[in-house]
Amino acid sequence: MDNGAVLRIEDVNKSYAGIRALQNVSARFGPGLTAIIGDNGAGKSTFMKILSGVTLPDTGSLFLNDHLIHIASPFAARKLGIESLYQDLALADTLNVYANMFLGRELVRRVLGIPFLDERQMARLATETLDQVRINIPSVHTMVRSLSGGQRQAVALARAIHFKASVLLLDEPTAALGPKETDSFNQIIMAVVREGKTVIMVTHNIPQMMEMADRVIIMRAGQIVAQTDPKDTSQEEIMAFMVGSRRAV
Amino acid sequence: MLHPKSSDPSTNIRLRIRLGANFPYLMGNIRIFGILLLLVIAFGIVAPGFLTVVSAQSILVSTALFLLLALGETMVIISGGIDLSIGSMLALSGMISGVVMSHFYHTGQGIMLSVIGLAVALAVGLCGGMINGIVIAKLRLNPLIVTLGTMGIFLGIAELISNGLPIANFPPFLFAVGNNGFGLPWLLWMTIVTVIVYGIVLSWTRFGRYVYAYGASNDSVIRAGVNTAMHTTWLYGLAGLGAGLAGYLSTAHFETASPVAGSQYLLVAVAAAVIGGTTLQGGEGSIGGTVIGALIISVLENGFVIMGLASFWQLVAVGAMVIVAVFFNDIQRRRKITAVGRTSPAGEN
Repeated sequence: MDNGAVLRIEDVNKSYAGIRALQNVSARFGPGLTAIIGDNGAGKSTFMKILSGVTLPDTGSLFLNDHLIHIASPFAARKLGIESLYQDLALADTLNVYANMFLGRELVRRVLGIPFLDERQMARLATETLDQVRINIPSVHTMVRSLSGGQRQAVALARAIHFKASVLLLDEPTAALGPKETDSFNQIIMAVVREGKTVIMVTHNIPQMMEMADRVIIMRAGQIVAQTDPKDTSQEEIMAFMVGSRRAV
Repeated sequence: MLHPKSSDPSTNIRLRIRLGANFPYLMGNIRIFGILLLLVIAFGIVAPGFLTVVSAQSILVSTALFLLLALGETMVIISGGIDLSIGSMLALSGMISGVVMSHFYHTGQGIMLSVIGLAVALAVGLCGGMINGIVIAKLRLNPLIVTLGTMGIFLGIAELISNGLPIANFPPFLFAVGNNGFGLPWLLWMTIVTVIVYGIVLSWTRFGRYVYAYGASNDSVIRAGVNTAMHTTWLYGLAGLGAGLAGYLSTAHFETASPVAGSQYLLVAVAAAVIGGTTLQGGEGSIGGTVIGALIISVLENGFVIMGLASFWQLVAVGAMVIVAVFFNDIQRRRKITAVGRTSPAGEN
């Protein structure tokens, strides 16, 4: 993964059928882990969808390292080095680990001009990436459906890491995991963060966020109501911003 | 913290890499090959005359035509779709190709005309299949409904062209393609080459990988940035291409082009894929399995004929085989899922 990039959004608005999902949202994301929290309907998912190219903003601008960017699709986001880890992981269960990691970006070797899949090289590189981030998978030849929930998450994460994402978007990555799996997954995320990468994570888990994040953005009713360092605040104060008993700062 | 196992290529890993997408289906294919062997031995015992060269050749020839349909159908089913129009496509491509060859043939061997006829049949099959693919991909319609519709359309056009009657008057070279050959009839050689090509495409190319991925999770392919509309169009195009070749070879073998030529092949083509381990849920299957599945069907049919059983028993047997295959495929799939240690965390094992 390249060193973390600076992703900046300015005055982004988005409405669905007249309902304003995002209102004049501006934020800056640099290296480190930024957690986005908020109640249901706060606009977190819309925000992440815009960053990952799933949906386009109605108005507003996005900048990557001070260059204006247009993220028209998830593929465009990937080309810009913005990788997403979806809640449903977007893995093909009946393919093995390395086939999933390289899906859409398969390595090929030409025989008589015909491009054949370079299985050996993909398996080797996948193993190296998993080794590098200390993710344990029985074998890169294992079908993904044979993996545990945590291992599947790890495969999806390894895919992002292998392709040198400069920004990593995580949408509730541990929502479907048990406590042990969550703990293991968080360790991997923190290893990525320690390398100085830009990681943006939507979460409902406030204690987890307080422990891991370098910065927290609190959203309510489509707006950013607070941005702070978790060390400078408390869970009670964050809850107060989320439910609206504290005003925006 | 545990680490991934070494990337040193052990024999097992080398085998996995060599077999590509076929590896997960190796054991399943060996199992159904065992069933095929048992059937051959059983019929060899109870039906005198079954274990002869003539019988074997008859089995292979009768397998070839519906196997050509089954190859494309296998890919389509692995992708999570279905193509009900391939039987009609066989009839249409055979008919249009036949009309061209019949119209222009006057004297001589007609080698060039037979080659043109082959090109016409392949083009008709490819175009018909691609029309299916475009409609399914662009209009986002259910493949079952679309191909049910085109099944009727293709059959109707074939009937319209011939007024519902078979046509003949073909070049002699065409008959040679369908019935003579070098060791095996040319028809079989062409089928073998097609099996190899489809097998390579499915197992060792990006196209094949997306077929499996799309069947397992279409979201995974879409988010990977694959042009799924283009992929679907070529996928159904390949199914049509196989049907086009089958149409041409059917005309060559039976020395006639009939608008109802492929009517009996749809069921057996799907049956061959399913018996061969292709799951209707998508994401799983192999060309090798389909070849064995097709041979099982032909052995059953041929064995029953030699035993003198009424032909409807063949349909009963094939239908029963399909149900049994689906049942066992499903049990196997559930076992794999329940065997998964889904509680094992990412960093532990």
